Amino acid sequence: MIATPETKDLNGSHSVVSMPRRSATLVETRELSKQYSGGVLAVDGLSLTIRAGEVFGLLGPNGAGKTTFLRMLTGLIKPTSGNATVADGSPGSSQSLSRVGAMIEAPAFWPYLSGRDNLRLLARYCGLPDTRVTAVLDEVAMTEHAHRAAGTYSTGMKQRLGVAAALLKDPALLILDEPTNGLDPQGMVEFRNLIKNLGTGDRTVLLSSHLLNEVEQICTRIGVIRRGKLVTEGTIDEIRGGTELVVRAQPADQARLVLEKTYGADHVTVRDGAFSLRVDMSQTASIAKSLVMSGIDVTELRPAERSLEDVFIELTGTEGGS
Amino acid sequence: MLAAVRAEWFKLVRRRAMWVTIGMMVVLAVGIEYFLVYIVATHPPAGAARAGAELTSLQTGLYPDSVVKKSLASASALGGIFALIVGVLAQGSEYSWATVKTTLVQLPGRISIVVGQLASLAVLALIMVLGLFIADAVASYIIATIDAKSVTWPSGIDLMKGVGAAWLILYFLAVLGFGLATMFRQSGMAIGIGLAYVLVIENLVFGLLVNLGDTFKQIQEWFPIANAGYLQASFGRASGAVAAAAAGQPPVDATHAVTVLALWLVGVVAVSAALVRTRDVT
Repeated sequence: MIATPETKDLNGSHSVVSMPRRSATLVETRELSKQYSGGVLAVDGLSLTIRAGEVFGLLGPNGAGKTTFLRMLTGLIKPTSGNATVADGSPGSSQSLSRVGAMIEAPAFWPYLSGRDNLRLLARYCGLPDTRVTAVLDEVAMTEHAHRAAGTYSTGMKQRLGVAAALLKDPALLILDEPTNGLDPQGMVEFRNLIKNLGTGDRTVLLSSHLLNEVEQICTRIGVIRRGKLVTEGTIDEIRGGTELVVRAQPADQARLVLEKTYGADHVTVRDGAFSLRVDMSQTASIAKSLVMSGIDVTELRPAERSLEDVFIELTGTEGGS
Repeated sequence: MLAAVRAEWFKLVRRRAMWVTIGMMVVLAVGIEYFLVYIVATHPPAGAARAGAELTSLQTGLYPDSVVKKSLASASALGGIFALIVGVLAQGSEYSWATVKTTLVQLPGRISIVVGQLASLAVLALIMVLGLFIADAVASYIIATIDAKSVTWPSGIDLMKGVGAAWLILYFLAVLGFGLATMFRQSGMAIGIGLAYVLVIENLVFGLLVNLGDTFKQIQEWFPIANAGYLQASFGRASGAVAAAAAGQPPVDATHAVTVLALWLVGVVAVSAALVRTRDVT
């Protein structure tokens, strides 16, 4: 089971590399591109801003360029063009890495070392005391298994150890690349709760995923990436869009005439026996009034809610997500 | 940078494969260079009676006063192979386990990590050398005691020079293995090409080329495996199976050999560091 934030206070424990949160913007990229040798353009002019305290979801189908983008943010690969600032430093610089914890793709550990020793090793790289290791093992509920060699861990345990490694520096920015990959449904639920908890307070989380419900449940803001380009960015409500109204009214023929006359035939479509109106939400009252004044009974009038899946399919075409 | 050195040593010292490799090196070196030679010298096969002087020379070469020559012979031949493997394992596994990513997203910076790795390898190479010298010293003492001979040890200066020379040879080969693993980003190809170079390629190529003229002999004097042999030979010929191949007067002195090996060492380190620093980690 994964610990709750009520019982474990990560920020309460000490850390030699923990630094005050300085900037309101944790990640800022401008026209960031990466073309691999062989000509594959994995990331194409991606500009993105992530503010402190957000749980930002980078959503995109497999092969959209999410991992390449995250690798650039952590300095593992260099961009072909464009620039980025991550936690007030250039990607991969000591200044940046001191405030960033990252788990890129599947977590990788030294299989002959125990889980605890793996973290002790990483703590040594950062000049952190072993007490920090104990704190993060507790945070991800891995203390019980910490003595076992990491090579014997299940996928879920490795993922949790990966998050523990990312938390060692008590980072201002936590970057997690498809963290629930390979987990069973129970493990996914536990992991999502863990990530939600990690994103509370002023820590910023950047999470990449191709799982829509995961992003929907965890993230406060999302960006959708397709073929290396950011196709949209905003809160989930913004991305779902609130520009359509669903209207049910009787008699339907008369209602259609009124709506088309008032808002134009282009803005009115019939779907499942109801009218779908592409108008500003502020016009809701005037729509109701015009229908009623025309002697039409309004039985339903509400904003149309598109699922994130609808939007995702619309934005990414047939590539889809799962 | 010190943090990276501490971390790399923490990692290396807990890796059982390293100690198994070093243990095998010591056991094989003592087994082949001392006990096998002793058995041959004390139980000569039928028909070898005429070679009595040679057998006696073999046997006296096993006594403590020859321990520096014998250990250097072991280091430059058998030890070098194991040092290469240790160097490959130290870096190649980081790529095969993908832990190179895990390390690079921590604090210290790419060059600091390389420095940490190479510093740890330097210590490990010294442990290998000391292991060889101590095991050889014990074996030579046992043989001298069995033969009821007086025990005379080499001078402290000779011992230190021998340890230094053996360390340079083993450390260069470990760094060569490290560099090959960095270049190929894996262990298998690095070990294969490393062993082929150390055991065959340099000797084979120059074995053929030197027949074409002295120019090629002079060129060979700037290659690492040849200079490892020259450095070992500068301590005098050791008797025994492996050392027999290194017989003859070296064409260059120890200073030249040390200089060339050091230059190659610096070159391999520079190339490795440049690769680690500039390459994308995918």
